[in-house]
Amino acid sequence: MWKRLLLIRGAELLMFAVLAAVPLAVQNPYALGLLTLLAIYGILLIGLDVTVGYLGQVNLAQAAFLGLGAYTAGLCVTKLGWGMPLATVAAIAVCTVLGGLLALPALRLEGPQFALATLSFTALTVTALNELESLTGGAQGLSLTRPPLLGHVLGANEFYWLCMALLAVVWVAMRNLLASQWGRAFEALRDSPIATDAMGMGTYRHKVAAFALGSALGGLAGALYAFNFQYLQPQSFVYELTVILLLGVVLGGRKSLWGAFVGASLVALLPNLLSNRTLFQVISGLGFLLSLLAGIRGLVRKTIPPFQAIAPILATGVLVGGGLLVANTEDWRKAIFALMLFSVVVGLPEGLMGFASRFLSRLFRIPDPPLPAPSPLDEVLPATPVKSGTPLLELRDLRRYFGGVKALDGVSMTVLAGQIHGLIGPNGSGKSTLVNVVSGLYAPTAGEMLLRGQPLPRGSLFRTAQAGVARTFQNLQLFTGLSAIENVMAALRGAYRRSRSMPLVLLGLGRIEEKRAQAHALALLEFVGLGHEARTPAKDLTYGAQRFLEIARAVARRPQILILDEPAAGLSHPDMHRQMEIIERVHQRGVTIVLIEHHMDVVSGLCNVVTVLDGGKLIAEGTPVDVKRHPKVIEAYLGEVEPGPVEEVAPAAPATS
Amino acid sequence: MTISIIAQMAVSGALMGLVYALIAYGFQLTYATSKSINFGQGELVMVSAFFSLTLITLGLPYWLVVPGGLLFGAGLGLFVERAGVRLALEQKSEGWILLTIILGLFLFSVAENVWGRDDRPFPTPISQQPIQVLGVDVTPVELSVAIGVFAIMGVIEVFKRQTLLGKAFEAVSADRDAGELMGISATHTVMLSYALSGVVAAVAGILVSPITTVGPTMASALVLKAFSVAVVAGLESGFGVVVVGMFLGALESIASFSLGSGWREVPGLVLLILALAVRPTGVFGKATIRKV
Amino acid sequence: MLVVSDLHAGYGLSEVLVGTSLEVKAGTVVALIGANGAGKTTTMRAISGLVRPSKGSVLLDGQPVQGLAPSRIARLGLAHSPEGRKVFGPLSVEDNLLLGAYRRLPRFIGFRAQAGRDLDRVYGLFPRLGERKRQQAGTLSGGEQQMLAIGRALMAAPKVMLLDEPSMGLAPVIVQEVFRTIQRLKQEGMTMLLVEQFAKTALTVADYAYVMERGRVAVEGPPAELRKNERVLAAYLG
Repeated sequence: MWKRLLLIRGAELLMFAVLAAVPLAVQNPYALGLLTLLAIYGILLIGLDVTVGYLGQVNLAQAAFLGLGAYTAGLCVTKLGWGMPLATVAAIAVCTVLGGLLALPALRLEGPQFALATLSFTALTVTALNELESLTGGAQGLSLTRPPLLGHVLGANEFYWLCMALLAVVWVAMRNLLASQWGRAFEALRDSPIATDAMGMGTYRHKVAAFALGSALGGLAGALYAFNFQYLQPQSFVYELTVILLLGVVLGGRKSLWGAFVGASLVALLPNLLSNRTLFQVISGLGFLLSLLAGIRGLVRKTIPPFQAIAPILATGVLVGGGLLVANTEDWRKAIFALMLFSVVVGLPEGLMGFASRFLSRLFRIPDPPLPAPSPLDEVLPATPVKSGTPLLELRDLRRYFGGVKALDGVSMTVLAGQIHGLIGPNGSGKSTLVNVVSGLYAPTAGEMLLRGQPLPRGSLFRTAQAGVARTFQNLQLFTGLSAIENVMAALRGAYRRSRSMPLVLLGLGRIEEKRAQAHALALLEFVGLGHEARTPAKDLTYGAQRFLEIARAVARRPQILILDEPAAGLSHPDMHRQMEIIERVHQRGVTIVLIEHHMDVVSGLCNVVTVLDGGKLIAEGTPVDVKRHPKVIEAYLGEVEPGPVEEVAPAAPATS
Repeated sequence: MTISIIAQMAVSGALMGLVYALIAYGFQLTYATSKSINFGQGELVMVSAFFSLTLITLGLPYWLVVPGGLLFGAGLGLFVERAGVRLALEQKSEGWILLTIILGLFLFSVAENVWGRDDRPFPTPISQQPIQVLGVDVTPVELSVAIGVFAIMGVIEVFKRQTLLGKAFEAVSADRDAGELMGISATHTVMLSYALSGVVAAVAGILVSPITTVGPTMASALVLKAFSVAVVAGLESGFGVVVVGMFLGALESIASFSLGSGWREVPGLVLLILALAVRPTGVFGKATIRKV
Repeated sequence: MLVVSDLHAGYGLSEVLVGTSLEVKAGTVVALIGANGAGKTTTMRAISGLVRPSKGSVLLDGQPVQGLAPSRIARLGLAHSPEGRKVFGPLSVEDNLLLGAYRRLPRFIGFRAQAGRDLDRVYGLFPRLGERKRQQAGTLSGGEQQMLAIGRALMAAPKVMLLDEPSMGLAPVIVQEVFRTIQRLKQEGMTMLLVEQFAKTALTVADYAYVMERGRVAVEGPPAELRKNERVLAAYLG
């Protein structure tokens, strides 16, 4: 543990110490200016990384927030005569509010729409800054003098230290945040918005939070930017800057504070890189060699598609060749960024830090921090005594139509507390629809759903999850980027009181809860037999393990009712038995279960009662044995029951249907 | 402001709006087959326009310049598909968003350096003298925009409806897997859609250059408006883009005239953000039933 | 005509098929039956290329086609009428049929003339489609869409036709009609592989049948034998 602490924290401490010492050792105002810019961009990119790295979206608005923050601070100083602290706070506030406002339409949007919304926001911002001349000075620009900090005017060194100090604060705060439930929720959002809602985390609030956070940091960076350059013009904050920022985040490495720092260095140093021809050629040459090596290795081992191997080689090749042929690299700035970003996106999607951390962890063999001992199971999943016979879930005449298709056509069903209630039926019978309606993925067209006598929320996975319904999915919806234990931690109900509040987490006050959450999650992992895989990324687990994990995650919700949607789908024989054991164990803790399955042995082995659907209607209900012999059920599964030799096949079937 | 001036502004604006519509139509073509669009489409418009300008300065007659420009546009479209889109589609990711942005930036830089940063006039054989149509002044050049837009859209629609290849295009748009089962290569169809989108971009460039002059930044603004049009009209309907495009163009023209030229951009951008907010599934996703 | 050996395939990490083998001799109808989740549809998709097999081989008229793109396999003479029919909704009935023959027709002009005879044959088989030539396929009833899907597969003049769950979601009367058509095609010598949820109905038209269970073939034989086989029932209801 000390090794880890030493290496990682030590490295950070060392870096900041070195950076702080620079003005004392070196008397170069130009270098100092660059490093100040580095700190400012560092803050900016850490903010951008939240939406780009954690949420996984293409965010084209960060340049706009830099500009908005800068202008707000600038105007507060010039027009209102405010000092540094107040102007900075104003910049942060304005950007957070605008970020929140932008988040509202952008929230429901994914992928391309999100990119578009942020793109237009940037364009709008620049236009507004240009046109509101009376306020901003328009294209002529806005000049300001660096305001005093609490009465004291800052020299170059002192301003530099201020920026570095702020970077350090942001660094620590963000590390706290991203290591907490917030960070998990952001990543969960990226991997499966559906499961994020179904596990009670809430996509909405986390998207707004991520975006507001990113823009707040943009505002802070903007204020510092204004105090640094003391002259602003709208043209500085255009599309090109936004692409450069993306380059910084992607090249440096997503989801990484160090990555943001490395990226910020690149962005700050880029103009220098371009004007110094030899430096450029050395770096582009290095890049070319690296892509060549990686590309050939990938081709030979057949680990990556040919395009992914060859394209970066071509792109870096063009960089090298272009560097030799072209008269002035400054003019080709945009093309150079484009080629660099292209090579990185295609060839090194994890960025420099992603690559480095894998390399370094192999080199130094840094062990993961030890996990706490698992909590006693009773703390996590108390065995609730069951008043058997009481209805827990009641569905009355439930209907769901999709256009003309009557997927659910008046199903009434009661699930008694403490039972495992099976739900079967041929393809298209409506069982998945029923489960999707009950869990809130779809709102019912008509009918009632009651949990313990109270109406269930309709059409909202999140609110239904809050009401005590947990579920698994036919097509796994794990948080693939998170580890097994993180998947379970994300879903833990009632584990995060302090961690709900972002300010408390930023200050580092959520850590005790984190440890306890880890212990709880570990207990659940051991419950399903995955304790030894706690740190394995979910995407690297075997298929069977993934299925078990989804159950552990759902059970973390301490649900009143657990819906399992084909939990045995695609499982091998031994895994299927294990899955059945797990389900039985969950049942013994007093959890009521609704189980959809095709595999009849699973149903017979586990269920107390089975409901059979066909064509959206209920056709039979009873014990598994009764249901198997029910003529309507046989008919639904096998086709028309014809008279004649066929009757011999049906064992002990009733003579008439 | 008199009615006649407003009408004048509205008509010129609407004619320009047809260019937005045309670019949005290009988005529809690629979206239909691949659920992706080229975020760098503006650069395609611009580079094709520059290329055509070069052909003109080299002395080629117009009836060669136009096909030349269109072929070049098709080539650019194929380049975008190969370099920016195919990998992402194969991996079922949205990496094409970032990749097409990058390609656009690259093309911008190339254009800046090959052709220079200044706006250049685009000579055209069509007269610039305004003529009176229903009490409003329009120049034949502006009219040519309308004719060109409808012509290319018409040709492509005829292609889609009357040729078997066109029907295959529609089939893959409707159901990619079923199309494959018919022996229609989905990859080739996506390539075709990007090539057509490139042709459309080139046409837009050639049509609009006589009016706006050719310069590296000519199309970046155009494309944002085209996005607005595509969002509002929806990426499924063919001719809704025409109506929305004309409406937006007219609105912009009036805004520019009454508030000042810098405000020209605003209606489109605000429209885009509002449209994205109001349409819950946005453009790039019909209200499909989520499958879990 | 179609030989499948030791086929392994799945989606992502889940292996659905773990060694399926079957054979469809020319001019015969083979049924593939079994419970849901047994892997019937996955088998079809692995044969036609929509799913890439991880192991095993598929021989179409002696030629290995495993791992090829579906459009390539289709052009080699395999027609697959998929689960859920998947007709091209926005296109007309006739356009759907024309596209069925895509691999054989000219792409730009003259395709309608060349397809004339094949179209007439399909309309002869399915008069209701003939009445609705210009109608949008998406507006057809379930039964009509199934006819269209079969007609579309016919237009390809395939060597083998794969029919995946043709009876799904259809009323019993329509199902009878569909199977009458399948009988007719069988009489005309079409080679078919038929996946059906309704085992009994499938067995009435098949010359040979395979019963799938958990990703592999559990029982096989001519329908007469299978009808008496307890294990067949067990494969469905446990």
